[in-house]
Amino acid sequence: MIALLFLALSAQAATPPTGLTVQAPPHDDGLDLDLAWTAAPGSAGTLVLRSETGPDGPWLVSAGPLPPSTTTSSDRVSSDPRTHPPAEVYWYRLVSLDADTPDFQAEVGATEAAQAQAQAAYAQALVQAGAAGPAVEGHPAASWFNTSLGHLSLLSLILAVGGLMLWFTDRARKGAPTFIRRIPGIDAIEEGIGRATEMGKPVLYVPGIDELQDIQTIASMLILGQVSKTVAEYQTELIVSCCIPMVREVADEVVRAGFYQAGYPDAYNPRNTRFISSEQFAFTAGTNGIMLREKPATNIYLGRFFAESLILAETGYVNRSIQIAGTAEATQLPFFVAACDYTLIGEELFAVSAYLSRDPRLVSSLKASDYVKVFIVVCLFVGTLAATLGSDLLVRLFTISGG
Amino acid sequence: MKRTIPLIITLLVGLFMIGEFFIPHYRYRIWTAEFLEWGLILAAAAFVLGLVNLVQVNLPKVLRREEDWGYKLVMLLSLVLTLIAGFLGGDARSEAGHLYHWIYDFVFVPLNATMFALLAFYIASAAFRAFRARNLEAALLLTAAILVMVARVPAGENLPVIGDILPRIMNWIMDVPNTAARRAIFIGAALGAVATGLRVILGLERSHLGAD
Repeated sequence: MIALLFLALSAQAATPPTGLTVQAPPHDDGLDLDLAWTAAPGSAGTLVLRSETGPDGPWLVSAGPLPPSTTTSSDRVSSDPRTHPPAEVYWYRLVSLDADTPDFQAEVGATEAAQAQAQAAYAQALVQAGAAGPAVEGHPAASWFNTSLGHLSLLSLILAVGGLMLWFTDRARKGAPTFIRRIPGIDAIEEGIGRATEMGKPVLYVPGIDELQDIQTIASMLILGQVSKTVAEYQTELIVSCCIPMVREVADEVVRAGFYQAGYPDAYNPRNTRFISSEQFAFTAGTNGIMLREKPATNIYLGRFFAESLILAETGYVNRSIQIAGTAEATQLPFFVAACDYTLIGEELFAVSAYLSRDPRLVSSLKASDYVKVFIVVCLFVGTLAATLGSDLLVRLFTISGG
Repeated sequence: MKRTIPLIITLLVGLFMIGEFFIPHYRYRIWTAEFLEWGLILAAAAFVLGLVNLVQVNLPKVLRREEDWGYKLVMLLSLVLTLIAGFLGGDARSEAGHLYHWIYDFVFVPLNATMFALLAFYIASAAFRAFRARNLEAALLLTAAILVMVARVPAGENLPVIGDILPRIMNWIMDVPNTAARRAIFIGAALGAVATGLRVILGLERSHLGAD
């Protein structure tokens, strides 16, 4: 097949594209090279060939066939740098395809290695037929720090939040008073636990359905620590319904620690921290079953929720439970607002654990994000004004690209 | 000590993972990818613990014939059957003709769809309560909801006189007040998330840790 291809291409090789340049993109991880060229007139498409060993090949097809109008391409030189670290230099050649150039056809059922070998032979045949332009070398460049404006702005904001947080915490440690507005939804958590105690019914806690690494789930685990402490002090039953096994394991430890800190380690029942199912609606059905069978007096939904939010909250409403919800998912907030007694909106979810702890150092740390918020509001006004006057400086300042 | 070591590990790993966003070098990212893989392995191991928890919670209730024990028995039998079907099929279990594939297509998918379909009825009942015009805010919500809903159905566009204006009103509601409110929530939540992350990494927040 390769011999036939060689003969076919020898007969009529199309003019290859010209002006090939190969450059490493800025702030790169060291695995990409950007290619640009001028298209050959009358070309039916372009193939990008790459060699890791030298300007004489062997060659591999790294991209293509690309449409004739395409004059740029980005090449990822290694998909897994652990097993295949990038070389210091790569060589590229471009092939212009005409209508008669046979396509590379992978053999059905061939192994990955056999396919790669066949593709290399195909590329080699194209080069030998004179269809490829001159070899151009490119050097991948790995950056140790992303100095783009957007990344620097974000780093400054994170440092500002961290610095202000430490400063406010230090002030609180020295006894400076901190004012924080009352948040009725958070106050209602303790009221809900009190109500459950009076009624002799359990409290149901649902930490959302996302993985443990999601920041809303992390916030929910922190809140669960405070809630379990209060529940233990009130000598009430706490049921935690989990969708993710890892979340259940952490919730188990957190609730155990809460009961221990409250001085009632024996009251902790590990069977009340339950893994239901990692499937969204199976979990919803299981949690609804807990609501309808065990009749919790208070349902607390704090974390990341999706379509199940309303099914859970409406079942709780039918069950006449006090319901407190909180999420940063804007699409689910209306459902919680409609079906729950109290809803914590967005940032309030992240303030709950500090607010409930009543620890002045933690409460004062909330001030840090408030100050940065004021700064962002000022930036929004200035940015709107600047954009109206034709300047895009603030837009560039807060644009994160690549990385 | 029981609290200090986890705090140090959290600080070091937390800062290292934040660094991934600012340090693009592939050598650095090999290590962050390694940490994430450790997390995946832990998560996979947690599935075994989740299975143990399911059995621990439900089996005693079946054995003691507690209320609704039949449902729990069905759940446990389904669990065992699916597990066996998964092992029987081997690598090809997800292909047509295998029991595992059949369970997925003809039991799991319809049950999932049924639960999702229930949402329509829940939305109707929640909307009925939310849209009662008891005060000014609820009346505004009701008005905006009616305008958007009518403009989104083909019949709305064909209404006489207001048919042409309705889509423009809907677009304004969605693009201006709705987008502004969503962005405010996003900005606040993002800052809250940064603050929460930093509180945990810097060890200010310790409620998730056990006592010494």
